[in-house]
Amino acid sequence: MIRADHLFKQFMVRGTPLVAVNGISFEVNSGEVYGLLGPNGAGKTTTLRMVMGLVEPDSGLVTVGGRTNSADSMEYRKLLGLISTNDGVYPWLSVREMLLYFADLYAVDLDVAQQRMVELSELLDISSFLDQRCSTLSTGQKQRVTLARGLMHDPPVMLLDEPTRGLDVVGSQTIFRFIEILKNRGKAVLLSTHRLDEAERVCDRFGLLHHGSMQYEGTLQDLQRATGQQHLTDMFIQLIGKDHHHGSPVASTETIEGSA
Amino acid sequence: MNDYLSGGRLWRLCLKELRESLRDRRTVMTLILMPILVYPLLSMAMQRLLLGTVSKGQQPSYVLGVGDPRYAPLVSELLSNAQSLIDSGVISPIPPIQFESKSSEGSGENPPNDEKQPGLDSFELFSITDQTLQSALQSGQIDVAFTKIEKREVPIGKAKAMSFDVEIEFRNGDRRGEDAAILVRRMCQLINDQQAYGLRMSVAPEFSPAVELKTRGVGRKDDATASLVGVIPLVLILMTITGAVYPAIDLTAGERERGTMEAMIATPAPRFALLLSKYAAVVTVAFLTALANLFATWVTFSFGGLGKAIFGPAGFSLWTLLQILPILTIFAAFFSSILLALCSFAKSFKEAQAYLIPVMLICLAPGLVTLMPNIEFTNLFAVVPLLNVLLLSRDIMTGQPPLVPSFIAVITTIAYGAAALVIASHLFGTSHSVMGSQSTWSDLVRRPSKPKDHPDLGLFFIYLAFLFPVLFVISSMASWFEGATDTLMGLNALALASLFIVVPFAWLSFNRVRLIPTIRLGDGSSNALAWSARSTRLAGMILASLLVGSTLWMFALEGVLLFKSWSLSEHIDQLESLKQKWLEIPFGWILLTQALAPAIAEEFFFRGFALSAFLGRTNQVRSILYSAFLFGLFHVITGNVLSPEKFIPTFLLGLVLGTIAVWTNSIWPGVFLHFTHNAIVLWFSRLEPSQLEPWFGSSEHVPLLWLGGGALVITAGMALFYSLSRFQKSRTAE
Repeated sequence: MIRADHLFKQFMVRGTPLVAVNGISFEVNSGEVYGLLGPNGAGKTTTLRMVMGLVEPDSGLVTVGGRTNSADSMEYRKLLGLISTNDGVYPWLSVREMLLYFADLYAVDLDVAQQRMVELSELLDISSFLDQRCSTLSTGQKQRVTLARGLMHDPPVMLLDEPTRGLDVVGSQTIFRFIEILKNRGKAVLLSTHRLDEAERVCDRFGLLHHGSMQYEGTLQDLQRATGQQHLTDMFIQLIGKDHHHGSPVASTETIEGSA
Repeated sequence: MNDYLSGGRLWRLCLKELRESLRDRRTVMTLILMPILVYPLLSMAMQRLLLGTVSKGQQPSYVLGVGDPRYAPLVSELLSNAQSLIDSGVISPIPPIQFESKSSEGSGENPPNDEKQPGLDSFELFSITDQTLQSALQSGQIDVAFTKIEKREVPIGKAKAMSFDVEIEFRNGDRRGEDAAILVRRMCQLINDQQAYGLRMSVAPEFSPAVELKTRGVGRKDDATASLVGVIPLVLILMTITGAVYPAIDLTAGERERGTMEAMIATPAPRFALLLSKYAAVVTVAFLTALANLFATWVTFSFGGLGKAIFGPAGFSLWTLLQILPILTIFAAFFSSILLALCSFAKSFKEAQAYLIPVMLICLAPGLVTLMPNIEFTNLFAVVPLLNVLLLSRDIMTGQPPLVPSFIAVITTIAYGAAALVIASHLFGTSHSVMGSQSTWSDLVRRPSKPKDHPDLGLFFIYLAFLFPVLFVISSMASWFEGATDTLMGLNALALASLFIVVPFAWLSFNRVRLIPTIRLGDGSSNALAWSARSTRLAGMILASLLVGSTLWMFALEGVLLFKSWSLSEHIDQLESLKQKWLEIPFGWILLTQALAPAIAEEFFFRGFALSAFLGRTNQVRSILYSAFLFGLFHVITGNVLSPEKFIPTFLLGLVLGTIAVWTNSIWPGVFLHFTHNAIVLWFSRLEPSQLEPWFGSSEHVPLLWLGGGALVITAGMALFYSLSRFQKSRTAE
């Protein structure tokens, strides 16, 4: 469903070029959860934003369902849903108004949007406060509203950017349940996180990023074979340790046999 | 984009933004509470100030001036006549002037009897020279100037009466001057009443001389009251700004801060539609604030009693309110786009506030200028943002605003607003404002990495916002120019070439717009065309341009003749006086500066830059219409005089030239046509009416036969242009 080919992006920081993403390629299929993993500054968010069409890659191409953002931005974006750690709500709008507003931005018909809102309200348990102003909601309630917002246009692809950052155990559980729902509904899910334990639980395949480059890619078994480590956390410690020993970022991408 | 602009979606987006703003109590507080508090306070402060100026003693002493020393005894005689009448008790004393400020306190309606009545001792008389009389009046040294006073005998029946012919002047809008003039008038009235009384009672008329008084207000309002009038637009505008600031920050930087921006930008809704909905909300809140403030001003000054004291006899009428409202609305639209441009760049509330505080302070500077006395609303001030709106509002409040500067002020404010909105649309939702990358303002003027075939419409509007005020400044400078007419013509042509060719050329090159396809600098022929076909096409284009260009003058001339017969404009006469000067200049120089330079410059700009910018955004018909509209507008506002009569002919010419540019894909046929047309019109302008007589007879119009024939030739020329475009297509297809 998602196909990223040799994405490259560099930013100018105070006049100095900084490579944020260096030739990343991956694919995510429908009904699959793909974990884009890496420490802070690895290039996860920039990659996600290039997939989202919010940042234009300097080179490389992303296609979603065969479409590209540059050729048909409107239809491309309709295919994608985004939930990010920084997502907020409109304090002066009611939950209903906010959900319908986003449905409108995705050009969803009002009748369809109403129906979908009811369905999502039940699924995410937000029916009781649909007409409440968002400013009066608790953190957990806001989080569920945000999840509902991301699904109002029923996209086949869902991008989740650090969705559990800053959440307590209950909040994180809601997210995991949500990812399960997405997977069961056949959506292609691209999850960016630095919480490796949770990634191990929910992802089917992984891409390990470091300094903007893809270090390892594949299923957990593939990664275990390639690194000789059992858990993602250990793989990362090894990766970062390698960096410390050599004093320079790893530039090459190791492709693991058997990975898609 | 169309998907989002249709079906009421944009309307719903606007409603959402507005709902969000109006539910925020901080917006509502600025909207409702501030006017309720500010205007009564302002009115109290003004009352205090006015009382300070008029109650330096309950009985002000007025200073009268005479220019001719011989007048002084006559003025004394006149005043003492009135005083003796008061003293003798023949008629009641002059009622004191009622000051609005006093009446509002409830003490002025029926003055107590023990109050000292005005009389001769209310005046101080000064004799100054004739030369300094006017300046003494203008500087406020004297309140009333006696410009003429003559004593003569007037036969009344068999008897003779003494009569005074008196002319006095006072400063318009000057409280003391107006009051002193009223006192003089009332004293004269007493004397006249006494004569009528004497006649009725058969008293010898020579003992009761009559006065013929002429009063004249001179100059502009320039005293404390006039300055107070200047304060009101400033307060209104500052309040409008204050009203718009909060929603502008909240809907842009605030959106990012609360984490809704990224989700919104990630949707398929076009950024411009999102920005437009936000803009509509900010303008609406600014407009509502302006309306609330204007209403509060009206209530305060109409019912608080200060209206007449500050705005003159008519007070602050509903009509004034209705005139100010559109000006404030345009200002609200302009300033909202400035606010959005600034706030779109900010990553947080704090950053947005940091940008806005200096802007608010800068706004105060022109505000203070309007408070200075003797600031005239000139064309030059009309292009200065904010100052133009302040001066226009002040002049609406105090009477007649000048037509040309008012028009310029409105147009420039709209142009600046549009440019700011274009900038905002470039900044809104960029990776910087969404993700907080390290980009800076310099990104706005960063050279694009890829070349483009069409200039962005935004680029064009930004240039237009630069061009518009510069044109006015240049026009104003031309009117100050004291050198020879031919030099002025050369300078004009140079300015035209710089502004319409050189600077746009540099601007487009900087923005990596490919110039040949954009400006249609080539001959427009396809490379696939054989040499012979190319030559045929070129010959056809020259012929067609000649046909159309050499015939259009009839319609242009008829337009001017019609206009002359309607006598809608005074400057036709000015043109006549210019004609003599023109006849002394070599025709070659006139052709070069008045026909060739405008033809190349205007074609380059309107059919090159403008038309391409519109074509990048909309279809051919609309693009031609819009560029022709701008072409027409440009001719209306060129020079120091508004020439509305030029709009229709130049708009139509713009349509013709635009169509030709699109058909031929080159500006050169248009340049040739435009030059031919200009040259013929200039040649006609050198002829005397008698020289035209053998052609047109004595008719005041171009003969119908000529017009009909002309229309046929133009049609043939246009048909030739059209067939040439078909010819190219068919040959290329082969």
